Amino acid sequence: MAFLTLLLKASLIYGGLLGTAALMTLAERKVSAWMQLRVGPNRVGPGGLLQPLADGVKFILKEEVTPDGANMWIFRLAPMLAAIPAMMTVAVVPFAGQVELFGLDFGNLSVTDLDIGLLFILALSGLSVYGVILGGWASNSKYSLLGGLRASAQMVSYELSLIMTALAVVALTGAMDLREIVAAQAGSIFNWNVFTPVVGQVGLVLFVIATFAETNRHPFDFAECEPELVGGFHTEYSSMKFALFFLGEYCAMTVMACLTTVLFLGGYQVPFWEDAPWFVQLGAFGAKVGFFLFLFIWVRWTLPRFRYDQLMNLGWKVFLPVALANLLVVGALIALGWA
Amino acid sequence: MVVVQRRKLTLAERLYLPEVFRGLAITFRKMFQPRVTRQYPEEGLPKTEVTRGQPRLVVKDDGNIACVSCGLCEAACPAYAITIDGQETDRFIEREPERFDIDMLRCILCGFCEEACPKDAIFMSDELELADYSRRALVYDMDKLKRPASDMRARMDYVKRINGRWGVEA
Repeated sequence: MAFLTLLLKASLIYGGLLGTAALMTLAERKVSAWMQLRVGPNRVGPGGLLQPLADGVKFILKEEVTPDGANMWIFRLAPMLAAIPAMMTVAVVPFAGQVELFGLDFGNLSVTDLDIGLLFILALSGLSVYGVILGGWASNSKYSLLGGLRASAQMVSYELSLIMTALAVVALTGAMDLREIVAAQAGSIFNWNVFTPVVGQVGLVLFVIATFAETNRHPFDFAECEPELVGGFHTEYSSMKFALFFLGEYCAMTVMACLTTVLFLGGYQVPFWEDAPWFVQLGAFGAKVGFFLFLFIWVRWTLPRFRYDQLMNLGWKVFLPVALANLLVVGALIALGWA
Repeated sequence: MVVVQRRKLTLAERLYLPEVFRGLAITFRKMFQPRVTRQYPEEGLPKTEVTRGQPRLVVKDDGNIACVSCGLCEAACPAYAITIDGQETDRFIEREPERFDIDMLRCILCGFCEEACPKDAIFMSDELELADYSRRALVYDMDKLKRPASDMRARMDYVKRINGRWGVEA
C-alpha cells in the first residue's frame, strides 16, 4: 500500500512537472505575443492549447544530426545530464499537506520529505551545469564551446549567491527540510519569510535574480545568447536531444519557482486560512508558483540581455557581498533574539 | 574631436531595479492592449479600387473581350510576362487574340499593361493570392484571365477617373 501510494504520488507529480514544462513552452510564446500586441499560436486546439503536443510530435519526427568530430558518447550524455537532474529535484518539493481522499490517508503531498531537501535541490541543480558544458564541448563547434564555457562560469558564480540567500532562510527557520521550512511559516501571513523585515525582501529579490541566472534565463541567458553564439551550447543539437535540453530548462524553472515559493512565500500556506484542506493548499501553491513562472517569461520579454562582463561584475561585486551581508544580518537578528 | 556628453544617471537608474520594474510595468500594460494581428487566411487583406492585384481581361456584356491583340501591353510589360498571338475574326474589331498568356511568376503587378491598353481590355484586379503546385500552372491563359466586367467595375471606373485627369478619353 505504501509503495503504491508512493508510486501514484510520484507519477502524478512528475506528470504535473512535465505538463507544467509543456504548458510553459506555450505560455512563453503566448505571453511574448501578448506583450508585443500579437496573438500567438492559436491554430492547434482551442486557443492554441494543443501547441505543445504539436511541438512534441515535430521534435520526434525531426532528423537527428550528430556533427562530424563530435564526441558521440558525451554528445548523447549531455542532454540527459541537463534534463534528468532538473526533473529529479521536484521529488522533495512539498506541494500540500496531508492528503485524504475517499477516507484514505495518502500522507503528505510530495514524493518524499528529505531532511536535507534544500541541499538535495541545490546539489542536483548544480549538476545541470555539466549538461551545458559537456554538450558545448562534445559538439566540436566553437559557438557551442563558448556558450558552454560562459554558462558554466555564470552558473558557478550565481550559485554562490543563491546558496547564501537560501542559507539565510535556513538560519531563519532552522530547517533544511522543505516541509519544515513551510511549517515554520504557518499561521499568519506575516510569518512568511518574505515579511521578515529587510532581510526577507532583500533575500527574495536576490534569490529570484540568482534563480534567473542559475536557470540561464533572460536577461542572463549567456548559454544560448542567440545573436552572438547562434544557439550557444545547443547549436549542434537537433530533434529530441534538443527537446531534452529544452525540457530540462523548463523543469529547472518550475522547480526553482517552487523553491522560491517554499523559501519565501510560505509554500503551500494559504493566507488567512490556517487549516485549509489539501486541495486549497495545492491551489495556493500553484498560484504562487504560477506567479514566479509568469515572472520568468515577463522578465524575458522586458529586459535586454546583459553583457558578459556586466553579468560577472554583478555576480561577484554586488550579489555576493549583498548576500553575505544579508546572511550576517539574519545571524545578528537571531543572536539578538529578534527573529 | 567630438566630446559626447553623457547624462549622469540618477541613483534610481544606477540601482537598476527601479528601472526594471518600470519596464515590467510597460510590458504588463501592453498585454491588455488590442492586438494588431490580422488572422490572414480567414481575415482578408483590405482591398480598394486602388489595390493593384494581378491583371485580368475584362469580359464585356456581349461575352467577348475587348482585346484586339495590338501587342502594346506585351511591349509595355517590363517583366516580359505577357505573350500574345493574334488571329483574324469576323467581329467588327477584325482582330482578336488566339492566345493571351500572362506568366504570373514573372508579373510584377506594375500595372503598365493596364496603362498601355488602348481598348480597355486589361485591368488590374484585386486578386493577390498566387499559389499552385507547378510553375506551368501559374502561366495563366485566356480562360483563367477572363473576369466579367461586373467584378471589375470599381477598378475600371477608377482608372477612367485617373486618366480623365490628364484629359485622356477613356
